[in-house]
Amino acid sequence: MTVVIDWGAFFSVFVAALIGAVAVVSLYALGLRMLVRAGRVPVVTPAEFTDAITVLSEKEIRHASKQAAKAARKSPLTAGQRNLAFIAAIGCFVLCGAAVLGGIMIIVIGH
Amino acid sequence: METAALVVVLVIALALFFDFTNGFHDTANAMATPIATGALKPKTAVLLAAVLNLVGAFLSTEVAKTVSGGIVNEADIPHDLLPQLIFAGLIGAITWNMLTWLLGLPSSSSHALFGGLIGATLVGFGLAGINFGVVLSKVVLPALIAPLTAGLIAFAATKVAYGITRRYDGKPDGRSGFRWGQIFTSSMVALAHGTNDAQKTMGVITLALITVGWQTGDPGSEDFHNPEFWVIVACAFTIALGTYLGGWRIIRTLGKGLTEVKPAQGFAAESSTAATILASSAFGFALSTTQVASGSVIGSGLGRRGSVVRWRTAGRIAIGWLLTLPAAAAVGAFAALFVVWFDGWGVAIDAVIALVVIVGLFLRSRKNAVTSANAMSDVAESGHVVDLPDVPGPTRRTSRIELMRALERAERKADEAERAARRAKKLKKAGGTPGEIKAARKAADRAARKYAEAEQASQEWEALSASRRARAQLAEWDLAIDDQEGAR
Repeated sequence: MTVVIDWGAFFSVFVAALIGAVAVVSLYALGLRMLVRAGRVPVVTPAEFTDAITVLSEKEIRHASKQAAKAARKSPLTAGQRNLAFIAAIGCFVLCGAAVLGGIMIIVIGH
Repeated sequence: METAALVVVLVIALALFFDFTNGFHDTANAMATPIATGALKPKTAVLLAAVLNLVGAFLSTEVAKTVSGGIVNEADIPHDLLPQLIFAGLIGAITWNMLTWLLGLPSSSSHALFGGLIGATLVGFGLAGINFGVVLSKVVLPALIAPLTAGLIAFAATKVAYGITRRYDGKPDGRSGFRWGQIFTSSMVALAHGTNDAQKTMGVITLALITVGWQTGDPGSEDFHNPEFWVIVACAFTIALGTYLGGWRIIRTLGKGLTEVKPAQGFAAESSTAATILASSAFGFALSTTQVASGSVIGSGLGRRGSVVRWRTAGRIAIGWLLTLPAAAAVGAFAALFVVWFDGWGVAIDAVIALVVIVGLFLRSRKNAVTSANAMSDVAESGHVVDLPDVPGPTRRTSRIELMRALERAERKADEAERAARRAKKLKKAGGTPGEIKAARKAADRAARKYAEAEQASQEWEALSASRRARAQLAEWDLAIDDQEGAR
């Protein structure tokens, strides 16, 4: 009995998953970075405070919002530069979504 | 033939029940991190997971083809025997799943299914019934490699996520925005789960249908092992229903293990899980989504600064994973023995066992007593593998920046001290009032003190870089001592 193992398939899965995950994470993180640069620092509160969540208390959220507003006021960028950063952020998020959809399409169409 | 048809009907019912328990069990794994970080409300998460499991089940059929046309040599096994063996295998899988669930042991529904099938075929027909090449290349090796792959990818993705959003000026970094992203990445995990796990049941049902000639299409064609459309629909809806009804556990089970997962880390872990499972599904690898998600949580934890692995916990989880396949095979083999000894009556005995197991499972699920031992999500368990400091140390770049700042400050203060001393001397020579001279001397002393402080700070920052390795070593020793004390 001969057992043929397609090691190339394992390597392909690793490379495809690595490229996919790192591309999605990089684009999303870059989008957030651009949002911060545009003076629109996202302060996203937890959807629900279950027992498990210890990430932010109400007081910490208020503090974070205050800090974000202060950082936006003190931004050294001009209004035009901030708008440009905001457009870049949106572009990153759109690209990120497109990367995800593209990956799914490859799986669906490929088979 | 009638008996075989009856057994196939039983196989379909049992396979769908297995599908249901799979969805029921794995909701917590797919949605563990977004709930832990507060990205989604538990109820929303459960509903989203159910819908996306349903959609995911329609995306690909490669895994189903692996199960229906590769693991078992169906052409060699008598067609009246194979449905009985599949039935025995499913009983092995469900029994092992239930047992591990009650005992709180880490397990994998997928490996239990394959283990049960392999064990039953080995006892019922012999070695020739198993296609070891496919088992090794599409089940065993992916089981060993996929969690490592997911861990490595999650590690890299976490580093990237933190690296891109890191700020060195102390201003807000906007990382809580990863919570929005988690809604999408956790949805992708649910989608990937539907794509991989629902197909395993489709494969089992298709295999049973082939044995009694109910599978349509040309047996010689490549598409012959594709599941029938009604099988896809039935499996998709069953796993979605199981996912939705299993949601109640999530709210209770997430209290432990994942409390330290931050949004950026959860986002990276989920991206890695979804990418690994989806890429594997396209190649027909039948993975355990639980193991991949656990590998990602561990990898992303290690991607954060100052994290240390608890090897004892990691070892316990790994042993649980390794045990699943042979243990389920043993239970499947035991169920197949009844078929070998008593033929049709053996199936009846197995059916009774299945009924007892299902009723037991149902009664157990009605009990609300949930403790950390019996209701822990397997992924949440993996959250304990990595120990994270409350406040991670500074990055190399932060150390460098702080060192530069301290040196600049020291230089500035040294200049100030020198200027103040010169001014005091000048005032004394020029015959300034004692008050003026005293004030100038005081200013010189203050500047000299500040200079000494700044100098010391710069030395501390310099020393910090050198001591980073030493501190990491100390943290590891502390953990080892904790582990030893825990063992005692």
